[in-house]
Amino acid sequence: MSGNEKTLPENVRQLVLQTLPTGFTGEAIFGAAGGLDSLGLVNFLADLEYRIAEVFGREIVLASERAMSRSQSPFRDVAALTDYIVELLHE
Amino acid sequence: MTPPRIIVITGTSRGIGLGLAEHHLGRGDFVCGCSRAASPLRHDRYSHYTLDVADEPAVVAMVRSVVRTHGRIDGLLNNAGIASMNAALLSPAATAQAIFATNFHGTFLFSREIAKAMVRQKSGRIVNFTTVATPLRLEGESLYAASKAAVESFTRVLARELGPAGVTVNAVGPTPIPTDLIKSVPKAKMEALLARQAIARFGAVADVANVVEFFLAPASDFITGQIVYLGGVSG
Repeated sequence: MSGNEKTLPENVRQLVLQTLPTGFTGEAIFGAAGGLDSLGLVNFLADLEYRIAEVFGREIVLASERAMSRSQSPFRDVAALTDYIVELLHE
Repeated sequence: MTPPRIIVITGTSRGIGLGLAEHHLGRGDFVCGCSRAASPLRHDRYSHYTLDVADEPAVVAMVRSVVRTHGRIDGLLNNAGIASMNAALLSPAATAQAIFATNFHGTFLFSREIAKAMVRQKSGRIVNFTTVATPLRLEGESLYAASKAAVESFTRVLARELGPAGVTVNAVGPTPIPTDLIKSVPKAKMEALLARQAIARFGAVADVANVVEFFLAPASDFITGQIVYLGGVSG
């Protein structure tokens, strides 16, 4: 895992922001206020999984049962997605 | 010059999967195959992964390894499958779970993971495998036919989800082909099955490869969500 524990959330946040499509603005990713449609989300999460593997050396699946069973989607905004990825990387 | 295609085939240790791997190697493609057993194939354009197609972490690791190695995936042939000839009332629950794990869950997992790569590259072909046992409603094959009916439904819906991304999803339904899958089926039963086809003969790997090549062809980019049965069987 790159970086130390203190900087991991910030590293993940930067990776999320860098992987969002060019021209994407704001914090809301998916849902009523989100900037991505379904296909956009699929593209983004697929890209992000590959970027996580490159940067952190971990093969994780973001659309897991854990993500889908939550009352609030971890894909709703940058902060929630960052927290969720950090949680997965800590496992 | 067109670069060699990168084709992933599941279930390449024997039967149709092995035959399809040999077919694609013969055409100059790179083939990445997998099965629970080792593969008899040895070729400088063939890579083998030993795994269970229903094992999610193993499938994810294989697909990402293929993408890292080749940079893209042009075609996925979801061939891995198991069958069990038995009356429904005599079938153990474990048999139902095993058949759905390989035939449906395996198809789902490989499609999901490889579609992620195909969506990123904005092109790709997924070919799923069904069977004439599904439209013929064959007695004694309820679990096998039901698992392939799930594959057919998945094929049609996935085609709609991936159509906007330039990825096609179709399925081929072979007739019986003399492989290990049907070796335990009684001869009289097999002859009765062949008699229900418009062309009453066993299929061959070449018949399947022909339909697969049709789906993989660049000119087939407007063909998706289709089920093609061999031998003149209709859905």
